[in-house]
Amino acid sequence: MAAHSSMNPSLALSACCHFLRPLNAVKSEVMALLKTSSVFQRHLFQPHFVGPVSLSIRTVYERDYRRPGQAPDTRWPWQKIRFDFAKGVEGVKKHFGLLKAEFMERWSGPEGRPLEVHMLEQTRVLWEFRGPESLSQWTVTSDREIGGRSEAYVKLGRNNSTCMLYGSLCSVAPRDGETRYSGYCTMRSKQPLASFDRKKHFDWSNFNTLYLRIRGDGRPWMVNVSAETYFSHQRDDMYSYFLYTRGGPYWQDVKIPFSKFFLSSRGRVQDEQYPLWLDKVNTIGFTLGDKADGPFQLEIDFIAVCNDRAHTEEFAYELYKRNPEVQPRRLAAGA
Amino acid sequence: MARRCFLQIYHTGCIASTVFPAVTRLNPRLGYGHVPRWIHSSAVFCKSKPDSTHLQEIIEHETEKKSKSLVTHDDLFERAARDAKSKASFNRVLDTFNKKDIRRRGHVEFIYAALKKMPEFGVERDITVYNKILDVFPKEVFVPRNFIQRMFNHYPRQQECGVQVLEQMENYGIMPNMETKVLLVQIFGEKSHPMRKYQRIMYWFPKFKNLNPFPVPHELPQDPVDLARFSLTRIANDLDAKITVYQLPSTHITEAGEELSHPHIVGIQSPDQCSLLAKHNPNRPVFVEGPFPLWLKKTCVHYYLLRADPVPPEEQIEEELDPELLGPEQSLFYPQYIDLDLKRDLGDDDSFDVDDVVEGAVYAMCMTGQSDQATLAQWISGLQENNPVLGKVPTVFRLDSGSREMQKVEDIRHDSGQNQYRGTEEEQIIEEEVLHSHGMKR
Repeated sequence: MAAHSSMNPSLALSACCHFLRPLNAVKSEVMALLKTSSVFQRHLFQPHFVGPVSLSIRTVYERDYRRPGQAPDTRWPWQKIRFDFAKGVEGVKKHFGLLKAEFMERWSGPEGRPLEVHMLEQTRVLWEFRGPESLSQWTVTSDREIGGRSEAYVKLGRNNSTCMLYGSLCSVAPRDGETRYSGYCTMRSKQPLASFDRKKHFDWSNFNTLYLRIRGDGRPWMVNVSAETYFSHQRDDMYSYFLYTRGGPYWQDVKIPFSKFFLSSRGRVQDEQYPLWLDKVNTIGFTLGDKADGPFQLEIDFIAVCNDRAHTEEFAYELYKRNPEVQPRRLAAGA
Repeated sequence: MARRCFLQIYHTGCIASTVFPAVTRLNPRLGYGHVPRWIHSSAVFCKSKPDSTHLQEIIEHETEKKSKSLVTHDDLFERAARDAKSKASFNRVLDTFNKKDIRRRGHVEFIYAALKKMPEFGVERDITVYNKILDVFPKEVFVPRNFIQRMFNHYPRQQECGVQVLEQMENYGIMPNMETKVLLVQIFGEKSHPMRKYQRIMYWFPKFKNLNPFPVPHELPQDPVDLARFSLTRIANDLDAKITVYQLPSTHITEAGEELSHPHIVGIQSPDQCSLLAKHNPNRPVFVEGPFPLWLKKTCVHYYLLRADPVPPEEQIEEELDPELLGPEQSLFYPQYIDLDLKRDLGDDDSFDVDDVVEGAVYAMCMTGQSDQATLAQWISGLQENNPVLGKVPTVFRLDSGSREMQKVEDIRHDSGQNQYRGTEEEQIIEEEVLHSHGMKR
């Protein structure tokens, strides 16, 4: 957070110790600024998405955000599932196809690539936007989810070779009595799934830098990487860093070392910081929340990871003790 | 609880020295002015005449007062806002509140009201005002005195309020200073939540303060020409690029009595762009495109481009190197040109396996005060001095009035936004309506 925070997506600082629970509970429910978790993602852009209804684990344990004036969903869980023969056939086809692909790709090498390619790779392009189907791997959300008025859309760029994220930001908080801040727009990649909806993860442990080729309009964005966690209370943990755009007609190459990413949970920077573990990365997202109301756009050419051999830093933030002793200040004898 | 004890003391007339050592020294009938700051007790009670026989009256009086004192503290600010909304009047309100009651009753509500009113008075980025707001808290009352108090979130509402003050500072990007720290220690103690919040801010703010590689000053230049200069150098990203002011903003009155205003036209072009434009095939048109937005913190400016369509592959000419650098007469030991990348090791390939995005070259950029074609044509004719090829090349204006239309659409949506909450159904993507105004220059 810079001393000019209007430049930065607002992230507030918080504690993660449970002692602060009463204070934090109040803050976390009102601080809905960076809520980009999977439930809040409304699939605004779904051109050809046909898939099974996957019940998110969160809806089982926690209640979703309920907008004021909205009736509670009183259906039983099984009523939400569509029992349909055609859907079943489709699911069987899809999942067994995926399973077969999974078996077969082992024969050619890890992740379906020959061994020498896998071992010698220095860079890997994760997403390039070269056709309409590339957009289906992303979900776009805005604070509409919490009753705000921002809009965000995604489309292909001028000659169908870039991803254009555009819309308008509006930071007027919804008048529901509990939300204090609003105004964000987000694009987040979908969780990769293997057959039978098992989670698949990205393994970026060979790389140490995120590489983006973007063209923005001068607004600062935030890059969020969420990794697989062990405990369920770490579900909202995200590793974030800032993405500053220059603006103008030229493409901008951005390299962000993974060591710079800091841990935040539910929009609050945590006291205890840990380096991002790159072996099980789930999603990557881009969030705008700079409180400047108006239209925005961000064009992404590709997203890649690379290995910057000049970068040796492991973690950029001090791994401080959790509850440091406060030294009582001693007054000088003369004073 | 404490107040009740206090009442009881007066009621019985006897003072238990073990319970309230500070009070014992005072005669309740005389010593009201000297009672130490006693936040736990009611201010009204202390001000009123101490008479144990009229206790019932006093309590009734107090309850009456209470109903009256439910007046919100916005009222104080609104009264101050009537004459002038400035830092001085804001400070005056704070002083009035501080002087009104030595016990600062209702200070939490007052502070919340003050925080809400800060942007209105234009003091939201002033550290001294924040310190003054924190100063409203009574000192040393909320400091936990034993480990049990420290454990159980001593004075939670007050601490939340203190955290809220710091959070507002954080949202406006104001760094707390030493005075803030001293105040927080005096008010809440060393290990309180506001103090922790202060420590977090002081840890993270300096880390992220100078992170932006494209910094924007907090106060943007007022003069539109200076602003255009700043934004164009920012987006051009080329130190060689030269800024030309084609026209300064001016207004003059014609003979017919009409007021004619000339908008500013500021352009930028680098020598590379100039040479690229010189090589442009004169049979293909160049395009004036825009306006494109550029955000400088919270202000949005628009710029225009002079660009060409991408060159089709059959027309692309391979750049040939100067034969003098390559020929066989070069010395083997001191060659003038080496096609070797010495930075890399063998097998290191840091290139990315992606297709390049094919886009036309950008020849020049400009910013104007008016977004009509005549102004931009003036820019093109100004460019023609340095780039004579523009006289032969047809120029097409692809001006996009879509941005204004989008604004209108947005406004309408805001008005009807209340009942449009169900957002999933309306998944339509609003295509920007690009109104091409094709027009040839002369």
